[in-house]
Amino acid sequence: MNPSRKQRWQQLQSVFEPGFKQMLLVSLLLHLLVPILYYSPLFPKKAIKKPPVYRVNLVNKIVKNPQAGRPEATVAKKKPKVKKKPKVKPKPIPVKPKAKPKVKPKPKPKPKPKPKVVKPKVKPKSKPVVKPEPTKPKVSKAQENTLAKRLKELREKKQRESAEQARKEKLAALKAAAVAESEKVDSPISDAPVGMVDGKGDEAGVRATAFVQEFIQQQWSFSKYQAVGTPEAEVKLFYNAEGTLLHYRFVKKSGHEIFDESLARAIAKSKQLSQPLPEAMEFDIFFNLKDMLDKP
Amino acid sequence: MKLLRVKLLLLFVVLLVPSLSLAARIEISAPGEQTIPLALTRLLPMGVGGSQPAIAREFLQVLEGDLELSGLFDLVDPASFMGDADKLGLRRTEIDFYQWRMLGAEALIKGGYRRDGDRLTIELRLYDVITQRLLSGRRYAGKAKAVRKIAHTFADQILKSLTGEKGPFATKIAYISKRSGNKELYMMDVDGHQPVRLTNHRSIVLNPDFSPNRKELIFTSYRNDNPDLFRKEVYTGRESRVSLKPGLNIGGRYSPDGREIALTLSKDKNSEIYLIGTDGTIHRRLTNHYGIDVDPSWSPRGDKIAFVSDRRGNPNVFIVDVRSRDVTRLTYEGKYNATPAWSPKGDRIAFSRLDEGVFNIFTIRPDGTDERQVTFGDGSKEHPRWSPDGRFLVYSLDRRGSGKSIWVMRADGTGARQISPLGENDSHPAWSDRW
Repeated sequence: MNPSRKQRWQQLQSVFEPGFKQMLLVSLLLHLLVPILYYSPLFPKKAIKKPPVYRVNLVNKIVKNPQAGRPEATVAKKKPKVKKKPKVKPKPIPVKPKAKPKVKPKPKPKPKPKPKVVKPKVKPKSKPVVKPEPTKPKVSKAQENTLAKRLKELREKKQRESAEQARKEKLAALKAAAVAESEKVDSPISDAPVGMVDGKGDEAGVRATAFVQEFIQQQWSFSKYQAVGTPEAEVKLFYNAEGTLLHYRFVKKSGHEIFDESLARAIAKSKQLSQPLPEAMEFDIFFNLKDMLDKP
Repeated sequence: MKLLRVKLLLLFVVLLVPSLSLAARIEISAPGEQTIPLALTRLLPMGVGGSQPAIAREFLQVLEGDLELSGLFDLVDPASFMGDADKLGLRRTEIDFYQWRMLGAEALIKGGYRRDGDRLTIELRLYDVITQRLLSGRRYAGKAKAVRKIAHTFADQILKSLTGEKGPFATKIAYISKRSGNKELYMMDVDGHQPVRLTNHRSIVLNPDFSPNRKELIFTSYRNDNPDLFRKEVYTGRESRVSLKPGLNIGGRYSPDGREIALTLSKDKNSEIYLIGTDGTIHRRLTNHYGIDVDPSWSPRGDKIAFVSDRRGNPNVFIVDVRSRDVTRLTYEGKYNATPAWSPKGDRIAFSRLDEGVFNIFTIRPDGTDERQVTFGDGSKEHPRWSPDGRFLVYSLDRRGSGKSIWVMRADGTGARQISPLGENDSHPAWSDRW
């Protein structure tokens, strides 16, 4: 080693030497502290929230201003009116059980020790034997008071814990129910909240156009083995507010007779919609086979 | 005054525009139901002659088989039929369409039959349940044994009514079978029934092809020790040798107009594609390459021929222009591509490809795009040939242990069904034109 290098090394040592080892230790401890803290209950891990499941029931009430088609949509309806409600709602659940224990502890401590001591049917026999022996003769009044206090505290604590546990269980059950509900894909549930994926309104239901689109599509039967080329047709339909087809006309025929006939059949089947419309309406419907013929 | 008119006009336009835009625009890009719900009722006896349940049963079975193969229909469960199915009424006014509509049917087939000795009359109707319109009505008369043919013919008619194009069910399929111990030429219905042996060469018969406009076939036979090209008239049974050049005379295919035959000749020591007349005279030599050129297949317009050549190494499908003799390569994948068959609509070419020791059927556009594998699974599927309407493919399936059999499927590979029995080594199918 060159003398200059040696000198430099010595200088470095003189700089680090005084507290270097301690520093290393502190650093190590701090590093260890991070995972300990991370896994401690101080930092509860939240489950990753899955994106909301949209459930769209298109065959439902027709509205002008559809809400979003989410299961939570019914709640969302109330939210804009009383925004605090949902915040308050969760609180009363934990608060109530807290309040109750304050009142209940008095009557409860008495019955509780009973089950502890009495319920095992053998104990009545041991009672007279046990009571005089450990407590009364040996323990002083002050000690008895502190013991009773301690017992009371413990009971209260236990009750709080059980209430907390019950609350947690209830919440978990509610969550599970919500998840199960949202996972139901087929939604012919009569009271299911309905709407549009892009709905921003406040009415439960779907837009008239979406309803009519769905309804007529369901009435249209056409096989890919009937298709020749890429037929397209445009039809104008006039419905009154009761959902009755007043008349229709082909604005543009496809030129493929079988295709046009299948449309006429679908329209004939859609003579009466299953629900009334918000008002008399006129629909300009473009029929094609884009989504069917694209499939291999 | 003028200003007032302009103002009024503007007002009219302003009022008109929103009223015009009231129509809600909707696009429906696929039908909700991709099959046609069809109610197919049992034939009922008409007038004298009494009930012949066997006729009704056989007719129903044949028609049902054809309609299922078409893939067009969703047959309504006969168990759900109501009173109207047991009523003979064939007229529009006699049918209770409401019953059929309640069952979700959109099309209805009703019919009756009368047997008078050996004479059978079947009357059939196809109705549109929704519009209550008669789509097709036919009366067929023939011998009692013609019940299958009548059913096939009516199935063709149903497809014509609902797709605009006749079905291929009343046609024939020729094939080579070894059931007699030798490879001989046979012919059967599209559903595999009524097989008829056409040759008795006690040798090897190969590669049959139907004439597009006559009831005759060409095929290669080793009867005279050399693989010569033969022609056979189906009904008269007359047979003649068309091409007996030294070496191979194989893979003969009639041109779409039936005037020429494309085939492989090896008279010059190398397999080349030639065009010959129906009298056997050579018209043209289409290929000239040291590679082996075999399996010609005409385009429906008759201007091109797809064939197999190993000129670039592995056997691949090539296309030769009949006029200019320009050759273009069609397939690039796979180690072995064979037996191309140009669809009658001209939009696709089917061929078989060897992959991992097994042949499967593929289809490809004539420009080399959109290649699709249409068969999968065990066994080698070879020799694909199109139905005359291009809706179906017939092919032979070779499963180890059980031998070769003939199968039919839709052109997209769905609905495959075996039509010839196992254990008889049936292969090389060819589908006739309208029979």
